[in-house]
Formats: sequence, structure tokens, C-alpha cells
Amino acid sequence: MKVDRRLFSNFDWVLLGLVLLISGIGILNLYSSGYNLCAGREPLYMKQILWILLGLIMMIIVFSMDYRIIIRHAYIIYAVSLLLLLLVFFYGNMTHGSQRWLALGGFSFQPSELMKLTIVIVLARYFNDNIDKGYNFGNLVTLLVILGIPFLLIVKQPDLGTAIFLVILVFCMAVFVGVGRKFLVCFISGSMILTPLCWFLIKDYQRERILTFLNPERDPLGAGYHIIQSIIAIGSGGIWGKGFLQGTQTQLRFLPEQQTDFAFSVFAEEWGFLGVFVLMFIFLALVLWGLKIVRHSRDFPGALMAFGVTMFVFWGILINIGMVIGILPVVGIPLPFFSYGGSSMIILMMGAGLLMNVSMRRFILQP
Amino acid sequence: MSGKQDRLTNYDPVKFRKKIQVIIWLVSLAFFLLIARIWYLQVVRGDDLRKRSENNRVRIQEIKPLRGLIMDTHGNILVDNQSSFDISIIPEDAKDVEDVINKLTKLCDLGEEAISCGKASLKSGRSFVPVRICKNIDRDKLAAVETNSLDLPGVVVDVVPVREYIYGEMMAHILGYVGNISSSELGKDVYSGYRSNDIVGKYGIEKSLGRYLKGESGGEQVEVDVAGRRLNVLGEVKPVSGYNVVLNIDADLQKICRDAFQKKAGTAIVMDPRTGSVMAMVSKPSFDPNLFNRGISGDKWEKLTEDSLCPLQNRAISGQYPPGSTYKLIVAAAALEEGLITENTEIFCDGTYQMGNRTFRCWKKRGHGMVSLHRAIVESCDVYFYHLGEMLGVDKLAEYAGKFGFGYKTGISLPGEKKGLVPTKEWKMRKYGEPWQKGETTSLSIGQGFTLVTPLQLLRAYCVIANGGILYKPRLVKKIETTDGQVIETFPPEKERIVSVSKKNIDILRYALWGAVNEPHGTGWALKRKEKDVCGKTGTAQVVGMPQDEEKPDIKEIPYKYRDHALFVCFAPYKDPTIATLVIVEHGGHGGSVSAPIARRIVDGYFNLEQKRGKREG
Repeated sequence: MKVDRRLFSNFDWVLLGLVLLISGIGILNLYSSGYNLCAGREPLYMKQILWILLGLIMMIIVFSMDYRIIIRHAYIIYAVSLLLLLLVFFYGNMTHGSQRWLALGGFSFQPSELMKLTIVIVLARYFNDNIDKGYNFGNLVTLLVILGIPFLLIVKQPDLGTAIFLVILVFCMAVFVGVGRKFLVCFISGSMILTPLCWFLIKDYQRERILTFLNPERDPLGAGYHIIQSIIAIGSGGIWGKGFLQGTQTQLRFLPEQQTDFAFSVFAEEWGFLGVFVLMFIFLALVLWGLKIVRHSRDFPGALMAFGVTMFVFWGILINIGMVIGILPVVGIPLPFFSYGGSSMIILMMGAGLLMNVSMRRFILQP
Repeated sequence: MSGKQDRLTNYDPVKFRKKIQVIIWLVSLAFFLLIARIWYLQVVRGDDLRKRSENNRVRIQEIKPLRGLIMDTHGNILVDNQSSFDISIIPEDAKDVEDVINKLTKLCDLGEEAISCGKASLKSGRSFVPVRICKNIDRDKLAAVETNSLDLPGVVVDVVPVREYIYGEMMAHILGYVGNISSSELGKDVYSGYRSNDIVGKYGIEKSLGRYLKGESGGEQVEVDVAGRRLNVLGEVKPVSGYNVVLNIDADLQKICRDAFQKKAGTAIVMDPRTGSVMAMVSKPSFDPNLFNRGISGDKWEKLTEDSLCPLQNRAISGQYPPGSTYKLIVAAAALEEGLITENTEIFCDGTYQMGNRTFRCWKKRGHGMVSLHRAIVESCDVYFYHLGEMLGVDKLAEYAGKFGFGYKTGISLPGEKKGLVPTKEWKMRKYGEPWQKGETTSLSIGQGFTLVTPLQLLRAYCVIANGGILYKPRLVKKIETTDGQVIETFPPEKERIVSVSKKNIDILRYALWGAVNEPHGTGWALKRKEKDVCGKTGTAQVVGMPQDEEKPDIKEIPYKYRDHALFVCFAPYKDPTIATLVIVEHGGHGGSVSAPIARRIVDGYFNLEQKRGKREG
């Protein structure tokens, strides 16, 4: 097999650097938040390093093959992802009252994370196939079916955050390709009809969280407790932070789920506004770099896919940080490349692989 | 290939670049908003939130001090601290609170209240905070809980010190009781150092010497984690136990007084006339201060407060009675000292005394004939004193009453003391807007009418006769000690004044009191011991003004609440008295027949005790 030399010369080192930088800070942060946990268990930061390495391998696999091949197989990927979600539905492991995990040998895997990336790929294919015909009512129905099946399966788990995340991704991509105003109106009203339906599918604690978000003082010791503790943790960091391993909220475990959803709060407590500013700058750079790849991509499906992945990362940052600083409800979306989590880390690495894929092939003519 | 090319005809990179430009602005705006919010939290509210994070992890836990003990004059403990056991549940450790409560209920009867309380705790969010289920369980239940502790996860037993009043109702009025500080008390300056939930004295010595008994709270600064588990003690200040209070009360004598009373209502006080020490003080009916230990139930409280005999009142200092014939000594002292009479002055008693258009009677219908001062006191002739009253006038009487300590508080260290009433012309004008009537002085001179005294005032006045002229401040407290017996403060005898009655006149009066007990026809015959050493005076205090010119009906025909109070005051031995005692039996009838026998038991008991102790020491 002959490999184009330009693939190497155009390799996106900046993207890789940004991703590794964020992951590295994430590991340090995990080290701190697990510092005072009971010994005897394998520390989470070690596991996270393993996930990152696995992710990097997946990244290489993903950028090695031409993204057009991936897009060509979009529906197969979609079918496999759906199958995995169905398996979760029947055989998934229950943790914390929801069924999200699929046991694969010694690992457990979260197919809903995979679905985030799959939906990006499948939409890139779908919008690309239909761009010339314009987007009519029939497209809308098809789109709602493509989105609706995984959406309902994920809501049923229940994982409202991820389900809504899928809707946001579809919406962003639809706006990007420029579907008509009528289409958007239908899409939004469709979602509006689905929303009350969700209310009956989700669990009590999730309803509680939404109500608490709407009125945080409603239950300061129950569901509101998480948000309050997180805000105290972040705020108490001040400008300079309490120092690495010195965050009292973290070390004394006042902060809930500090390795996953609230990892950012740990960082903000220990590194202060200065650290947060630097981290946010890196995140912004990552998103803008993604948009740059979209802009310079060679063809429409590449641009679409790169845009979808960039939005995946962007909304992950916005929702996660938004919820830990108390401006969005606590929905359980991890902070990209930063929070602990095998599935999410590997999927995001694969997403980064897709971006690199588009980026490094921007000068190669179509075969 | 061409198909694929066609698909791209609608792809206009320029259009998309414009869109991307807009998206870059939107993304940057979103990041800006996030950073602005974080700026607000970390920089604007940083200090405030840092304080809150400190509060999260450092808690100050108060360590309550032990309250001081109260002892009698011989060092017998009257009030001790006992352990009370409370059952609490930590919902976090119990997991299934309802199940644990059910098990507890089977082991020991907890009652409905506890169960509903436990269920309420299920709903509260902070599941690591212990919820008190049951206060003050007895030892059987405690044993049952302790032996089954493995089946009762999350159940903890707290040890709380409570007061134990060893003698129960016997000394309730002296010792008082304790309770949680009330919100109205918290607002007062006296309680400035206290916090809510503190225990304070509510009555008696517990209240009046609360500042000594209280002790100093200690505290711990503890670092806790989210579950409230203690991780580190950052600092500790040890609590300081309260001081012990040693009283002048003699527990044995107190018991004698209490037993002498049987079931009658009234009061008895024993005082040392040489020092003013209060050796015993009984008020009947009484109550059990242990009831108040852990909060009294509504029923029991109602029963205590609504009892028509007022068991909560300390009659010795809060009861106000007309002194009856016991007051004649004061009248006699005034008349002697003012030179209106001598010990030889004789007055004829025919059983009646005319004042204006009113006729006053002597208690002896046929009269005493010619009586001297000595006989008048011995036989308690009313007519003799009617004459003295007329000679002295109301204001002179009031002046001498004041000298003997009537009309104002004695200052004993107990709350709730009353000051009695010594009427004057001016007082009547002020109170009723009417001029003084001469007949009212006549009533006063035999201790009836407006005059009101507290038992303690009356006994103190008799001590003046007993000790030759010194008015002592009554002292309940002997000394204050630390827990290891180091004396902090002593309370030596306090002479309030030397009463301006000559030694000679006091001797006349004392001899008359001796006569009242030991001579023929003496009203205090019940106290006539073989040693012939007791001096005393009876008194009968009218509750309702009986018309003086009518015959008195039989006592059993009068409703209880209108019956006269029976008084007896005495001291012994005649030479250098060491004990003075007063007995009032409420609605008992005649002093000589009801109160004197009780006084007799007290005096006998006292000398027996002295003898026993003398032997032991000898």
C-alpha cells in the first residue's frame, strides 16, 4: 500500500498537542481528587492513563483510514451503535439507578458515548447525500427517526443529559448545513413535543435535579447540595487557588462525583482563577482549532464531520462547566479529555482522530 | 465520479466560511460568559465562599462542663450528677431506619413519639446527623440495647449528665431544679454568657448560685469530612467543672423537720441564733425536683401548678402570714424600750377592751385579771397588748417592726423572697386613701390586721431575743469549693444590725418566753422538756377577720381555707440558745395545740442529734 507522504507532513501536531495537554492536566487533577481516597484500590489516574493510551491507539486507527471510507460505512456504524444500545437495554449493568454500561470482559463500556460520535458521522453522510435536493418534510421525518431511536433508548436508561446532547448535536449540524427555516421550526416543535414525554421516562432524581436547577434553594440539603458544594469549591479557590492537593472541599470529599462530573470544580479550587483561565484558554484554542479544520477541509462531508466533532467537544465543555458553576442543570456530561471515564475518553480520542483525519487530508485530491 | 462531483455543486465554501466566522464569535462569547461567571465566583465572591469552605470542614463542638455538687454542712452530697442515657440513630449507618426502629421497639417500648420522630428523620437530607429517638432510658432498656447492638446498626447511646436530687422532695425548695434556658432568659443580662440549650438553674440554690455551679464550657475544633466523621482534633479546651456549694443545711435535721410535719401543709425553719445559719427549711407540700431533670411532662407540670396547695411555693420565704400572738414580743419590746411600761406595769384584763364603739376581746373570755408584762406574755393576754398598742401608736410599732427586720427582704440567697407588710398611717393613706383608724392599731398589737410577715422574718426576729440583740442575715450557704475541695469563698455570719433594745429589756422578754413554755398556764406547754430549757411563743393567725365580739365556732365547722394558721416560734437552751425554730401549720387552728408538738419533735430531734454527734466525736 502506497502512502502519500503529505499525510505525514500535514499531520496535525497542534491538535494532538492540545488534546494531550488537556488530558495531562486531567490526570494531575485526578491524582489530587483521589489522593485521600481509601487505599487498596487501583488509583483512578492510573486507569485514566490506560484509557488515554487506548484512546491514542484508536485515534491512530481512525485517522489512518480515509474519512470518506468511514462516511461511506456510516449506516453500518450507526446500526452497530444502535445494537450496542439495545444490548444495554437488555443486558446493561445497573449503577446508581441507571442502566448505561455494557460489560466487555474486564471493562465496561458506555454505548451512549459512542452514539454521540456515530450521530455525527451518520449526519455527515445523510446531509451530504441530500444537499442537492434541499431539505424537505420527508428529510425531517428521516432525521427524526435517525435521532429518535437512540434518543429514546438513552432516555430510557435513563441518561437525559446524553439524550439531550444528541439533540443539540443534530440541531447544530442542521443549522450548519443550512436547512430551511420551516425545517428548523418543525424540528424545534418536534423536540418540544418530545420533552414532556421525557418527563415521564426519567427517574425521580432527575426530575428533582431539573426542579432544583430551576429553583436551587428548593432543596439545599438534597439535590441542591451538589451544586452548592461545587460553587463553594470553585469560589473558595479565589484568584490563586488553594494549591495542588490542598483543596479542602475536594480532599474532605464535600465535593460530589469529583472525578467525573465535578472534576472541573476540583481544578478550580486548587488552581484558582489563574489556573481556570489557562485551562479555558486551552479549551477555547481546541474548539477554534476544530473550526479552523472545518474551514479548511477539502469537501463537504469532511467539513460536516469535523464540525460535528468540534461541536461535540464544544458542547461538552459548555454543559459541563455550565453545570458545575451553577448556570445549567446537573445532567452528567463529562468535561472532554478532562473528566475520568474510559468510554468518553476513548470516544473523544476517536473524535480527535476524525478531526486529524480531515485535517491531514485537506490537500489530497479525491481518488 | 461525476455523481460525486454533482453532489458537491451546492457546497459553497465561501458561504460556509461566513457561517464559521459567526460560529467562532458565538463560541468565544460562550467561553467569555463561562469565564465571567467563574470570575464572579472566584474573585468577587471568593472570600465569602472560602469562609464557607472553612465552615464546611471545621466545626466547633462544645464540651459541656459538669455542674457543681451541692452538699450539706457535714459534707453529705445533696445534689449529684448522674448519667442519663439517650438513644440516637444515625440514618446513614442504619440504612433502613424503619427496620431499626421496629427492632428497637421490640426490645424496649419506645412509644409512638419516638417512632414518628424516627420516620421524620428519614426525610431529612443530612443522614449522618444523629437523630435523638429517646431520652433518659432506664438501665434495663440500656442493657437490652447494648447487648443487641450488632443487630441495631446506626444506633448510638449518648451519655448526658443530669442532676440527681438525692433527697427528692425533702429539700426541693432549697435546692430548686434545673432546665434548659428559655428564650426569655437568654435575653437577660444575667444570662449573658449562656447559649441556647444550656442548662440553667430555674429555682432555689440552683438558680441563685447558678454562676458558681455552672462551670465553664470547653470546646473542640474538629476537622470533619462530608459524612460528619471526625478526622482530626485541631484544638481542645477542657471544660471546667462548676464549683461545689456547701450549705449550712443539716440533712439529718431537715429530715426530722420533714417527718415531724407528716401530711400537714406549712413550713418549718431551723436557724442558729448565734450566726443566722439556716440549718433546715421545710415547706409542705413539696415536689420532686428530679421530675424536671429531662423536661417535665405537661400533665405533671399542670398537676404541680394547679394544685391549690401550691407545692412549688417555698412557704418559708414566699409565704406571708399575719404573725398573730408571736408579734406581741415586738410590741412588748417597743413599749419597754420607749419607757411606756416597765416589767412591773400591771394592767387589768376583764376579757374585753373598748376602742371607740368597737369591743375587742381577749382570747380568754373571762379575762386574766391583773397581769404584769411577764404574765401577759406567758398567758398571751390580748387585752394587755391592746393597751400597749394604744400607747405606742401605729407608726412607733412600725419603727420597731423595721428594727426587728420586718417589712423588707432578709436577703437569703434564694429566689422568690417576699418582703411582708408593716403598715403605717402613710401606707394606708397611699394604699386606700383613707386615714388610719385607731381600732386598726388594736388589731396590729396582737399581730392581726394588715401586718404580714414571712416565716423567715419572724424566726430571725426571735433570734434577736435569743442572741441578745443582733439581727443576722439568714445564711443558707456556708462556702464555695472547687471540685478538689479548695475553698473559693466563705460566707461568715453577717450582722445586719444591733437592734436598739437594751440587754435588760431583752432579758425580760426572753425570761417571759421561757415562762410561756415552762410556767403553769403557759401557752407553749407542749415544749416543756425535762431540762426546762426551751423558750417559745404560740401564735394563731386569723385568715378571715372574725368579729371580735362573737364566739368562735368549733374549728371543724370552719371550711379548711378559712381556718386559722397555727404558729409556734421557740429557741433553746434558755441560756445561750443554739437553735431557734419556727413552725407554721397552715389552717391548722390553734398554735399551741398544732404547731407546738411539731416544734417539740424538731427541738428534741436536734438535741438528740447533738448528743449523738458529741458522743461520736468524744
